[in-house]
Amino acid sequence: MPDSDDLPPPPKVAGIRLDGTESYIISAEDNAALCRSTGIDPAGDGTAHPIYYYVATQVAMGKNVAGLCAACDFDVDEGPMMGSSEVRFSTPLRTGLPYTVSGEILGLERKRSRKLGVMDVLTYRLRLHGPDGGAALETDNVWVLPRRELA
Amino acid sequence: MSYAVGDELPPFIIEAVDPEAMKQWAVFLADPNQIHLDVEFVKARGLGDRVINQGPINVAYMINCLLSAFPGGRIEKMTSRFLDNVYGGERIVAKGVIDAVEDSRVHCSLTLESVDRGIVNSASATIRLP
Repeated sequence: MPDSDDLPPPPKVAGIRLDGTESYIISAEDNAALCRSTGIDPAGDGTAHPIYYYVATQVAMGKNVAGLCAACDFDVDEGPMMGSSEVRFSTPLRTGLPYTVSGEILGLERKRSRKLGVMDVLTYRLRLHGPDGGAALETDNVWVLPRRELA
Repeated sequence: MSYAVGDELPPFIIEAVDPEAMKQWAVFLADPNQIHLDVEFVKARGLGDRVINQGPINVAYMINCLLSAFPGGRIEKMTSRFLDNVYGGERIVAKGVIDAVEDSRVHCSLTLESVDRGIVNSASATIRLP
C-alpha cells in the first residue's frame, strides 16, 4: 500500500480558533432528559451528567459540526466519524451555570487506511470554562474524515 | 468500600437502543445528521438498515457503568475509542475492570459491546473516590 507521500496535502487548519461566542447553560430539565435517554436518573445534587463535556463543548464552540468540517474542506454530508475522545475534568459540571468554550484545531493529517481508503484525521481541543473563567475541563477529539474522492 | 485490581464493574445494560433517544440527542448536540434519524437515509448511503446511535451516547453508557460502580466518585479522565457503530434496537452492554488502585483513585478499562457483534467502543478512565 503506498504511503501518504503521493497524496495532495490536506488543508492547513492547525491553529484555527474554535472559541465560542455565547455561554451554554445545562438546564436541569435537559440534564434530566439526557440522563433518562441513557438509562439512568439524574443526580440529585445539581451535578450534570459527565457526557455534557462533549455536548456542551460541541454546541458552544465557535463552529457547528458542518462548519468545522467545512474548515477542513470536507462536506459534512460525506459522513465524519468519531475516532476518539478524551476528557480531563478539573471540576464536575453543574446545572444552571453559564459555561463558555475556548479551543483550537490541533492538526489535520492525511493517511491511507486499509478499511477506509484515504482519510483525513482531524484533532481539535476544546476547554469548557466556568463562571469564574477557570477551565472545568479540557477535551481532545479526533474525527476521521473519509476522502473517497482521493481513494 | 474497597476496590482491588481485577475487580469487574457491574455491567450497565441497554436492552434495546432507542431511536427516539437519537432524536433527543440530535437536539442536545444541535446536530441533525440524518444517519441518526432516517433509516432510508442510512440505507441510501450503504451504512446498513438501522439508524446509527450518536457516538457520545455510547460514551454515556460507559460513563453510566462508572457512575454505578463508584457512587460519589468523580471522573477525572476518560479516553474513549470508537471502533464500530451502534444501531437502533441493539442490546448493548457496558462493562469494565479495575486496572490499578491508588489511595484515592481507581483506574479502569471499559468496553461497550453489541451482544450480537462484539466490542464497538473501548475506554480507559480514572475515578477519584469520595
